[in-house]
Amino acid sequence: MKGISFGQYYPGDSLLHRLDPRIKIVLTILYIVCTFLCKSAVSFALLLLSVFVLILVSRIPVKIVLRSVRPLLIIIAFTFVINIFWTQGDTPPLLEIGFVRIYAEGIWNAVFMFFRIFSLVTGTGIFLTYTTTPMDLTDGLESLLSPLKKLHVPVHVFAMMMSITLRFIPTLSEETEKIMNAQRARGADFTSGSLIRRAKALIPILIPLFVSAINRALELANAMECRCYHGGEGRTRLKVLKCHARDLVVSLAVIAFGVGLVLLNAVKFGYVMK
Amino acid sequence: MDKICLEHVSYVYSAGTPFEQKALDDVTLGIRGGCITGIIGHTGSGKSTMMQLLNGLAKPSAGRVLLDGVDINADVDDVFEEWKGQPQYASLSRHKAKRAMTAELKKRKKELCFRVGLVMQYPEYQLFEETVYRDIAYGPQNMGLSEEEIRERVLEAADFTDIDEELLNKSPFDLSGGQKRRVALAGVMAMRPEVLVLDEPAAGLDPLGRTYIFGGIRDYQRRTGSTVLIVSHSMEDMAKYSDDVIVMANARVLRHGTREEVFAHVDELAESGLDIPQITRLMKLLRERGLPIPKNIYTVDEAVSYLKKLFGEVAR
Repeated sequence: MKGISFGQYYPGDSLLHRLDPRIKIVLTILYIVCTFLCKSAVSFALLLLSVFVLILVSRIPVKIVLRSVRPLLIIIAFTFVINIFWTQGDTPPLLEIGFVRIYAEGIWNAVFMFFRIFSLVTGTGIFLTYTTTPMDLTDGLESLLSPLKKLHVPVHVFAMMMSITLRFIPTLSEETEKIMNAQRARGADFTSGSLIRRAKALIPILIPLFVSAINRALELANAMECRCYHGGEGRTRLKVLKCHARDLVVSLAVIAFGVGLVLLNAVKFGYVMK
Repeated sequence: MDKICLEHVSYVYSAGTPFEQKALDDVTLGIRGGCITGIIGHTGSGKSTMMQLLNGLAKPSAGRVLLDGVDINADVDDVFEEWKGQPQYASLSRHKAKRAMTAELKKRKKELCFRVGLVMQYPEYQLFEETVYRDIAYGPQNMGLSEEEIRERVLEAADFTDIDEELLNKSPFDLSGGQKRRVALAGVMAMRPEVLVLDEPAAGLDPLGRTYIFGGIRDYQRRTGSTVLIVSHSMEDMAKYSDDVIVMANARVLRHGTREEVFAHVDELAESGLDIPQITRLMKLLRERGLPIPKNIYTVDEAVSYLKKLFGEVAR
């Protein structure tokens, strides 16, 4: 249970930690677009380089960054295999067994896809989840989406819902562990037996978990009402988001990086994706 | 021999991350069987961690935990040399013997849950069944007992914890907080563990609820002769109910001995920031005022009977 690295904030005081969350959200989207713009070997090299630069700047241990890729290994492996087997090349196939034909292009595509997903996951992880607290993240989102208020979209409510959700994920996972331990101490066995038996063994965990989650929600609602919470209208903030010079510098750097990638796509060195 | 032994046990939370924290630091101690031992300490002194180590839920980062002299976390390589001479393994090849030993260790690990019963903090969150009876029966069911045996144990556990028979057919979610707590406690007692470990069993209860809980625990200990460990931060309760006391501070054992031995060092405990029982403090103040009061008074009952005697003498 402790292995869940969803939205795991890694405390620190690096340049990335101090960026305005709004800027970080926009830059993350930009970065994702960049990973899809990559076509040539040279631009992929630059993309990988950018991941290492991000790791260096954020000062997050490589081990922790790599941990965020682990849950996606199945997807990565799947795309890898699909690309190898389903790419049609112009050159004669490297290997032909029955109807299976493997082309050099297929292998290149697979490798590039791997790099793409890898840098996408690690890059966004470093930009957003590792260096931004969930609270900053939702504040940033709320601020970015605030134009929608004109269209009567309850942006504040959504942001509040999101921050509550994010806030309670660690709490619930802790609680799950606690309940599992308590039932294990009463001899529950979650790991052996048939599928049906294992599913049944989950009942003693799920029922207490739901009961406590519902109770917690009711208590939270009461606590909020006691403090006269009434939504976004006229509400001031403890932390007002402000853009600094560093935000501008980093934004320019990311834009330059994106332009660089597109330009490097033109360099016909090594393999170039179609 | 001591029932439970900890040998140079350390426990580190989130090792290798910025949140790393040492909860136990080279703790060595032996816990006497057949009595109630209270473990006292501040929050974060390592007392709750210690109890999770006792039934194998958590493994120590270093050191060994022994129950009746047997390492509860032993793996095949630890026991191989010792066990290989035994008749059931002697005829097997090395590989097969190891496999048989692994199976045996796994079985023991499962039995350990039933031998060392663990009652967590605020245990009422573990209730899930439709009726109180079935919830208490959950543990014995997992032990694979027969229906009659389960029934007998449920009724016995309900008796220890003062749960009325009519409550047994109610939903556990309809009970009051104190009743829920007692049902959860009964759920562990029904497994008849030889070691019962409780983490703050009376936290958040009113005085009457506390008396019920501790009375039930004492009944259980007396009637089954088992070993009971109670983790608490309340010196008051521990002075009242425990035979032995362990005082924890900063992930280490500060003091360990019988109740009398430990409370003889009341000043030292007070210095380390622990609450000493109010009645002990009162007696200390009276003693400082010149009244001939002995040092070993920790409960209100003792104080009352002593003061009565004292005033009786004065009046005469």
